[in-house]
Amino acid sequence: MGAMTPDELLSRRLLLVTGKGGVGKSTLAASLALAGSRHGRRTCLVEVEGRQTFSSIFSTQPWDFTEREFRPGLFGLSIDPEASFTEYLSMFYGAQRVTRLVAKTPAIEFATQAAPGIKDVLLIGKVKEIERRREPDGRFTYDLIVVDAPPTGRIVNFLAAPDATTELVNVGPIRQQAQTVIDMLTDEARTAVLLTTLLEEMPVTETVESIASLRQLGVPLGPVLVNRAVQPAMDAAARKALTTMSADDVRTVLSSVAELTEADAEEALDIGTVHDSRLDLQRRMRERVADEIDLAAVELPFVATAGRAEDVVDIIAERLQEVLT
Amino acid sequence: MTASTGGTDHGDEGVLGRAQARDLSDVVAQRHIIVCTGSGGVGKTTTAATLALAAARQGRRTIVVTIDPARRLAQSMGLDRLDDTPQAVVGVDNLDAMMLDMKRTFDEVIDRHAADPARAERIKSNTFYQQVSSSLAGTQEYMAMEKLFDLHTTGRYDCIVVDTPPTRNALDFLDAPRRLTDFMDGRFLKMFLSPGLSAGRTVGKVAAFGTGLFMKAASRITGSSVLDDLAEFFQSMDGMYEGFKTRSQQVYKLLASGDAAFVVVASPEPGALREARFFVQRLAKDGMPLAGLVINRVTPPVGEDLAAALAEVAEEDRERLAAGSDEERAVAGLITLVEEQAAVHERQRGNVAAGLFGLDPRALVEVPLMATDVHDIDGLEAIGEHLVASAA
Repeated sequence: MGAMTPDELLSRRLLLVTGKGGVGKSTLAASLALAGSRHGRRTCLVEVEGRQTFSSIFSTQPWDFTEREFRPGLFGLSIDPEASFTEYLSMFYGAQRVTRLVAKTPAIEFATQAAPGIKDVLLIGKVKEIERRREPDGRFTYDLIVVDAPPTGRIVNFLAAPDATTELVNVGPIRQQAQTVIDMLTDEARTAVLLTTLLEEMPVTETVESIASLRQLGVPLGPVLVNRAVQPAMDAAARKALTTMSADDVRTVLSSVAELTEADAEEALDIGTVHDSRLDLQRRMRERVADEIDLAAVELPFVATAGRAEDVVDIIAERLQEVLT
Repeated sequence: MTASTGGTDHGDEGVLGRAQARDLSDVVAQRHIIVCTGSGGVGKTTTAATLALAAARQGRRTIVVTIDPARRLAQSMGLDRLDDTPQAVVGVDNLDAMMLDMKRTFDEVIDRHAADPARAERIKSNTFYQQVSSSLAGTQEYMAMEKLFDLHTTGRYDCIVVDTPPTRNALDFLDAPRRLTDFMDGRFLKMFLSPGLSAGRTVGKVAAFGTGLFMKAASRITGSSVLDDLAEFFQSMDGMYEGFKTRSQQVYKLLASGDAAFVVVASPEPGALREARFFVQRLAKDGMPLAGLVINRVTPPVGEDLAAALAEVAEEDRERLAAGSDEERAVAGLITLVEEQAAVHERQRGNVAAGLFGLDPRALVEVPLMATDVHDIDGLEAIGEHLVASAA
């Protein structure tokens, strides 16, 4: 199987973004969606865990089950299992009867809370509905759907839920529904799962392990997104020079422009040393990624200067736009 | 000032300032149960291991129970792998570690609460049980609490440190015992326990009209074999619910007592702080004993002297340095690094102040970003210097 190259990212209509907790998968999902919409794709950014991450990043009203255009050509949606379940049942029984009768039973609580397999099928089922939806003129409603999927610890169960459903359920509309969802998730012309990582031990290890289990599921994998790559603050020759410099050397270089005490210069050198070992760690992790992962990797910079989350998303989206063309 | 702790300066005034003056020394020295909680990826496991190590160093018989250990952390404790039996940590007196095996714990719970071994076997061989027992919402949390209570009752440990499951929403953890018992008390369950179901008559004599409609709908959508599996599962569990309920009430009481302490873990990022905030508020609402908030991976501040000195460097001098000799370019790079670090620190400080606004976390400990991954006892000791600084 040929690995998908980064510039092919937007050739898939459904991108599912996952990653270890804390690596910034939501930020990257938002950036991807923003980059896609700027490329002229009518884009939908989907939240499935109800955290209101995106309404917070983009400073909008809270998101819900209704899609809203919050930036030009960029729509947002927060899928919750309850609404998805009600919508699903209403396809069979008519909206009014469903809301009047079923909503009053503990059935919804059970389906959406007690059995997460069902909950996941409902969530992905809604994603499939969006993915298949067409306008009156026959075009798909969205050119690109970016899902901020559950973290790597849960992603396999999440994506395997339709499979598990077909094992448990032999007949009927749920089985058919689950099968069309499986078809979508395994179609490499439509779908790609993107793993987000950092250039650190644990996230890289978790990414390697996730790739193996996602492959077993048969879901197509896109490039690995490497987040928060610290950029070298100086070129290689300068970096080498720094390793031999003393506090006095630093003071001498700066003597005509700033007055540093010995302690100031030591502190600056320490910060340089930490940066240096950080770059070394990144280099080792980059080698691990190259050795252990046979997918393309896209590095996205650590943004030190931006104050607001939306500014970070904006800067990363710009970088992604360069990659996508 | 704060340079000594590497923490963020919130000023001497106010609730956060007071919280910052405290650490977790008294918690480590006195409490019987310490529960670490917070959103995924914030360093919960490392924090739990650090607190456990600190307690053991004080001569308290300690165990750390973890859910999802980094393999290297297990190695660093001298363990090839952690399993669900307590193992002594090599080179540290008084410290055991174990990992929670969800499925096995659930099996043990079934064995304990089932009326007889035959019934326990029937439950464990049920398709539905096998499929969902480890993923049923709330079970991870419930099982963590079961294990905690087990360890508590053995009397073998003075201090039990628990690392909670990486649930998407840390609040689930407190809800778990109640949600499970609510569910088991619920009408929905009673419906499954009604005799009509066992014969495969999925509508049967179910009284509630809405429920009847649901069952009809459900069997049409799923096929009836699923409902039969479910019915068998719930029926064979009948009689165990009292046991579950009693146990989870005991656990709840234990956690609410002065013997326990909750430590909320976060990173200086808005998302993690938002979840930490909800959790702190939720603990207060339930009357649970919050011991403090740990913020991991905080970028340390830049000394005021250094920042002021570098602020004097004019733009044209920076450009000249950046185009100069190796040493000059190195110093130009240093200036950038120092200023970026100051900017990141400022931003995190803003995140923390905004995220914790109006909150009283009791103790607030900020652990600076370490230059390398923490993966051995020395690394844990280094973090410990921040968490229990005043004990040293």
